[in-house]
Amino acid sequence: MQKLVVVALNSLLAAGLYATMSYGLAVIYGVMRIINLAHAGLMMLAAYATYALNDRFGLDPFVSLVVVAPAFFLIGMGLYATLIRWLPRSSTGPSMQSLLLLFGVWLVLQNLAYAIWGGDTQSILTPYTMQSVQVLGGRFGVPQILVFGVSLLSLVVLTLVLRRTYLGKAIRAVTQNRDAAMLSGVNAGQIAAVAFGIGTAFAAMAGSMLSTLYAFTPDFGRSFLLKAFCIIVLGGMESFTGVALGALVLAFIENFASAYTSIPVSFQDAISFTLLVVVLVAAPGGLPGLWRMFDKRAVAR
Amino acid sequence: MGVLRRHPALPLGLLFAAGLLLAPRFLERGTLNDLWNMAFFVVLASAWNLLGGFAGQVSLGYSAFVGIGAYTTVLLANAGWSPALTLPVGAALAVAFSVAVGLPTFRLRGPYFTIATIGVGEAVRVIASGLEFTGGSSGVRMPAAAFDFTANYYAMVALALATLALVAWLQQHAFGLSLEAIRQDIDAAEALGVPSTQAKLRAHAISAALVSVAGGLFATNFQYISPGSVFDFKLSLTIVLMPIVGGMGTLTGPVLGALLFSYLQIKLLASPTLRDSYLFIYGGLLILVMLFEPKGIVGLWERLIGARPWRRTPAVGEARRAS
Repeated sequence: MQKLVVVALNSLLAAGLYATMSYGLAVIYGVMRIINLAHAGLMMLAAYATYALNDRFGLDPFVSLVVVAPAFFLIGMGLYATLIRWLPRSSTGPSMQSLLLLFGVWLVLQNLAYAIWGGDTQSILTPYTMQSVQVLGGRFGVPQILVFGVSLLSLVVLTLVLRRTYLGKAIRAVTQNRDAAMLSGVNAGQIAAVAFGIGTAFAAMAGSMLSTLYAFTPDFGRSFLLKAFCIIVLGGMESFTGVALGALVLAFIENFASAYTSIPVSFQDAISFTLLVVVLVAAPGGLPGLWRMFDKRAVAR
Repeated sequence: MGVLRRHPALPLGLLFAAGLLLAPRFLERGTLNDLWNMAFFVVLASAWNLLGGFAGQVSLGYSAFVGIGAYTTVLLANAGWSPALTLPVGAALAVAFSVAVGLPTFRLRGPYFTIATIGVGEAVRVIASGLEFTGGSSGVRMPAAAFDFTANYYAMVALALATLALVAWLQQHAFGLSLEAIRQDIDAAEALGVPSTQAKLRAHAISAALVSVAGGLFATNFQYISPGSVFDFKLSLTIVLMPIVGGMGTLTGPVLGALLFSYLQIKLLASPTLRDSYLFIYGGLLILVMLFEPKGIVGLWERLIGARPWRRTPAVGEARRAS
């Protein structure tokens, strides 16, 4: 029983970070129907930016978020203005062209990191990296708890922005129906630029926080990109509550699989990759789609 | 003369092929190695192009097939099998795997299929690094025996030529046209009676078999393989970039891409400063192609020259795609 509680708490802590790293992907997909493969590169670059700030100025990784997130917001807007806006827009679904373009951006970002910091594995050590606290009979690392707290905070802020401001309403409107939003006077191009900025800022926050938990190289981020993609597919691609749900589901499955089954640790990443394929194929609408399906059947009966 | 009219580059190609097959008599080992590499890339790019270019199903998981071919060859060679047997077995395994992966993932369209293939490729790499009998992440070595590079060279060049001949033939064949139809509009193709899933599965299987044989020859040539060399994401990436930069869905595009990339690789290996910036070059090329000429070098060429004079009459739907 106690093990169950500890594993559940661990899953919850992981889910916070998972949600943060998936929101950026979901916002960009929602507004522009673009699958942002550069997400992984942006997370990696933010991890290095955090490392550089820590190394050079002794800035705490969590404090450096105040610098890193706005900076990456601007980088995202810049990427949109220089590259993304020139792509032909497709109304039906994400285009192969945008996917491959952003893949190119990812490669360039990787090389940028190689050029600046080299290929060695880096990690950030803070006084609390090795500390842990005892809660409900389990030991939880201080960085994990801080990451969870910051993730929760960022998600609350994002929800408030989406629900309470004009910008948020416009983002949701474009996500639901771009043409109708434009007819109502929403400047979809501007909203897309801001959404790309927000998505990039969230990727950066996730990357900064990942750097306090994991060691990283310029190749870092691919498995997290796939996890994030798995989460937004689970969440139904467009729904922001769905993302939170998807993050919880993936985190629980991963943690429970490693605690209760004999799947070796080295195969753990394969769980989310396989889950990604299974969900894409079996339930393309994600959890909300499944729910609606069962709901309809219940009504019909 | 019908053949000549349909393939005006045929005499040139045959001449080139003859040159490649005679090359071991005249050239030294280093140059032959470069040619081997070129042929290897031509096989990978042209085989990928069957599914990714003609049918428009961009897969980022092709290193799995290179890996299956390479591992089958090494593991069976260690069990005492001769390479004449290991290559077909590797191809058969790759075909089986391609069907197992294709059956579920071909229900996905466009970028969703691409993302799923990244997942499959990564899962295969993670599993191959974790398994006992594959030697884990440290990889496996071929049994110590006399290794005949010239035979390997001939095999690779023959495989490349066979791949190109097969692609050229399929292009004219109804099967190639059905792949083209799937790429242009899968719903319309289905409505016209093209069995799209079956056609995709067949294209996937053919390219998987070719790539797997190339992987087996790769393993024999390098004598040592590991998940980091044959299941690597960068290999999948290179396989995809060559046809994209060259021109997807054409016979010449992937060859041009393969030649460009093997030339780049030779240059890159020779210069330390360039070696550190190959991702810049790959990524930059990808960005440029996607922004300015999604049909790659072939598209650029067509735009410069006007239309290809030897171009066959436009197929139905071609005019709409051009607009």
